[in-house]
Amino acid sequence: MSQSASNPTGTISGIDVMRGVGAKPSKPFWADAWDRVVKRWGARIGLAWIAVVAFFAVLAPVTATGLPVWTVETVDGEVVRSWSPMWEGLHSVDVALLVGLVVGVPWMVLPPGLVGLTRSHRLGVLIAASIQCGISILVAGVIGDWLTDPEQSEGIRTFATERTAIVPWLAGIVAAVVGAVVMVPFTTFKSRIARIVLIVLVASISTVIAADRFDPPLSNYDRYIDRELAGRYENTWAIVPWSPSQARTSFYTLEPGTTVEAEIPATEGTFFGERRFLLGTDSVGQDVLSQMMHACRLSISIGLISTGISVLIGIIVGSLMGYFGGAVDLVLSRVVEIFMAIPVLFLLIVAAAVLPRNTYMMMAIIGCVSWTLPARFIRAEFLKLRAQDFVQAARAAGLPLRSVLFKHMLPNGLTPVLVQASFSIAAAILAEATLSYLGLGPDGQASWGKLLSSASTATGTFNWWLAIFPGLAIFLTVLAYNLLGEAFRDAIDPKLRKAAH
Amino acid sequence: MLAYIARRLMLMIPTLVGITLLVFMLLALSPGGIGAGLRVSGGQMEASKAALMEAYLEDRYGLDDPIIVQYTRWLGRISPIKFGVRDQVLPTGALVRYPKAIQPTPLEDSWFAETLVPADRLVEIRDDYGVRDGRSVMTRGDDSPEVAEYKAAAKAYSKTRADYLVARKELDKQLVRLAAAEGWSDAVDKGKPVHRRFAGREPDRSSPEWAEVEAAAIAALDAKAVAEAARAREAAAFEVGPYPEDGIAIVPGMLSLAWPDLGTAFSRGRPVKDLILTALPVTLLLNAVTVPIIYLIAIPAGMLAARYRGSWFDVSSGALFVAFWSIPTVWAGVLAIGYLADKQYLGWFPVSGLHANDADGMSFLPSFVEGPDGTSTFSAGYLLDTLWHLALPVACLVYTGFAVLAKQTRAAMLDNFNQDYVRTAKAKGVPARVVLMRHVFRNSLLPLITMFVTIFPAMLAGSVIVEKIFSIPGMGSLILEAINLRDRELILANTFMIAVVNLLALLLADVLYAFADPRISYD
Repeated sequence: MSQSASNPTGTISGIDVMRGVGAKPSKPFWADAWDRVVKRWGARIGLAWIAVVAFFAVLAPVTATGLPVWTVETVDGEVVRSWSPMWEGLHSVDVALLVGLVVGVPWMVLPPGLVGLTRSHRLGVLIAASIQCGISILVAGVIGDWLTDPEQSEGIRTFATERTAIVPWLAGIVAAVVGAVVMVPFTTFKSRIARIVLIVLVASISTVIAADRFDPPLSNYDRYIDRELAGRYENTWAIVPWSPSQARTSFYTLEPGTTVEAEIPATEGTFFGERRFLLGTDSVGQDVLSQMMHACRLSISIGLISTGISVLIGIIVGSLMGYFGGAVDLVLSRVVEIFMAIPVLFLLIVAAAVLPRNTYMMMAIIGCVSWTLPARFIRAEFLKLRAQDFVQAARAAGLPLRSVLFKHMLPNGLTPVLVQASFSIAAAILAEATLSYLGLGPDGQASWGKLLSSASTATGTFNWWLAIFPGLAIFLTVLAYNLLGEAFRDAIDPKLRKAAH
Repeated sequence: MLAYIARRLMLMIPTLVGITLLVFMLLALSPGGIGAGLRVSGGQMEASKAALMEAYLEDRYGLDDPIIVQYTRWLGRISPIKFGVRDQVLPTGALVRYPKAIQPTPLEDSWFAETLVPADRLVEIRDDYGVRDGRSVMTRGDDSPEVAEYKAAAKAYSKTRADYLVARKELDKQLVRLAAAEGWSDAVDKGKPVHRRFAGREPDRSSPEWAEVEAAAIAALDAKAVAEAARAREAAAFEVGPYPEDGIAIVPGMLSLAWPDLGTAFSRGRPVKDLILTALPVTLLLNAVTVPIIYLIAIPAGMLAARYRGSWFDVSSGALFVAFWSIPTVWAGVLAIGYLADKQYLGWFPVSGLHANDADGMSFLPSFVEGPDGTSTFSAGYLLDTLWHLALPVACLVYTGFAVLAKQTRAAMLDNFNQDYVRTAKAKGVPARVVLMRHVFRNSLLPLITMFVTIFPAMLAGSVIVEKIFSIPGMGSLILEAINLRDRELILANTFMIAVVNLLALLLADVLYAFADPRISYD
């Protein structure tokens, strides 16, 4: 479009506007909303803190571990071998997250000119790939647990323990197949070949990771410490040289900044004696800073996955209620009422007290309890959409039910649910913290709530570092998601956009 | 409107059944199942004795019945419409029921169908246990002969029932031994015989194990006959009617109306009704103090924020609301105890409980008490002492509700500022304050009214955390304890109550909304 010669000063007349001068191409709805969100200071603060938590969630096993990053074994001054105990001790989930970080960040950050895809498309591909990888690794872990379960029948156990070369690969391949099957309906790329290539690529990566990390060795932290004290090893330690589960009886409830030599006088002057507990220790002697860094992963994963589960269940139930109405609505409304009438915390406590205590069970519990809110939103939207022309047209054209529901109606009705999603993540994190405080959290996993519970002891002493730091972490994370949700809501809701400024 | 209310109330019943069934099923899934809190002791008793104790308790509380049977039995007790013979009411208020049925002996209709208790033994049993006399129990002086006879019969029945239980366990033990000898590995599941697997097979009748099994079976059948006789005696004594009957008969002998019976909490041995009546006022007190404070602070704050929209007050209070909303209750409670209550730091408030140790002896209002040496010291009095103990828990409960309500008020008022009638009023020259208070505020009250009825059930559950942190013996502590001990009656009764309160509050909110907003009708 050339500028009209009649306005050299640059002002645009009405005729120019009619010709389209000065008009910018409109952005898609979500891209536009995201731009508006990022402009707000609340959203920026929230995103910054979430980025910090995510950083530690991915890199915690590398930055806070009791295993040395690099060990060199010397016999009589000669280097015999050198290896990385930290790398060998990583679990499959840790490795997968690191791979995701190394691959994902350049994938997203590279300018669109280099890779021919828009940022949002790349984000979608990344999310799909990570879901597939996550499912595969989870399934591989479940298979591993099932094979080595003490109550398993003899034949399977001997098969698992003897064929150590084949079994991990078998488990990895089975898990990769499961993940691939789940990914088939997702349209990550327009061309089928590209989709298949992506699925196969992610499947092979997850197989390699699962097979390699099928049975990571148990970590023996004291061995490295003792051997360095004896002079046999030369270790390079991580930034925070403590693992979250590493404990000794002499380290019970130490104040922040205590050195090891203050508790174990025999180590005075050595590298071990000079180590500090930057944020103190808890009542069983585990370092607080390391636990807090590892707990970042629990928070983010529980927040995202629980909300994902609750939105999924809510969409299914809500769409059925909203689309069919009548008897289906009546019966399902009773089910929704059942879950609404029991206070969420009560049901969580009952479920957590009853079911096995691991992270995945907790995610499932929180997700299965808070699905009523998305269901109600979706139902309201579908009731409105049911009478719209395009839905009538889709039905008249004879499209199958799932196509009408999920391809036509759902994209139009999803907005309130997505606006609420950020608040749901905050609520899930709060719920997990409360359950961990009550002692009903996942076993063997560091958690902010669990640290908080040892702050005021039965004898009446108040350990301030166990109250302030974990509590602050919970508070800031929940605040970040709430701020993000508020910014989202203000950016998307047109009514509020007029009223607020 | 009335039809709508009636329809909602009717629809509440399947919802309540669904809720209690869901919670009950979840608990039945737990390791240990229902009544895990009972099976604690064990450590000092011999293994066999501990097993017997466990079996006795299971029998007494009906814990060995299938889960559905336990649930429907509880449903029957809860419903005001009762089927069958009416219960009778003891002077203490507890209920006595018709004597429990006797369970069949294992394999009595397959292997031992032909084995009968000899006729002369039956006569002997009837003579021993069918006699009515008031000999064997201690009776109070004013007990009527019917009451004395009932007490004796009940005691005899429970003793013979326990003996029968012992005999059954012995038979089971011999059956397990037989299965081991015969090599029937699938007939025994975790040390207990699966009776239907035994029924289809033919045992080796010449083995010594079979002799033991037969002897145990004969003993069990004998014990069963004895228990049946004692039961008949108790049934006869019950039908005479030693105590007044409960409720009103609709169809005599079949249908009656009575108050719901919440049962006995077997972990504490007290009726559930008493436990709830002790805990409920505490929680109600906590909420009754919290809710008005929330409303008193939040509504003016929200109104001011809406009125001065965009000013520093609005922006900063908005940020403050979000911050308050994000503080976890557990963190606030721990910080409050640590810094304000614990003697290490400020120690201004008490750490736990609702009353001081000597609260019973205090007068209600603050007063001066004469000391032994003539000086008068200030005694806070019951009222001030309770308020002082309530201060921290109430503070922890208030701030969340305050943030939510203030935001809702602000949003509702901002919504109304853009309406046409406000513009008309301003154009007419109505002063700004009148516009605010008389027009905008009244229309903004609607969501607040409905929030009021939804806040109450939220408080009932939200106080669980606060009550645990501050050791307040309210409904929240009761619920937590019930869940930890897997006490069937307590959990079901609590769930039922919470669900009823929640559903009624939702119904009330809908009805109030219809009243407050004439545009809404449910017909």
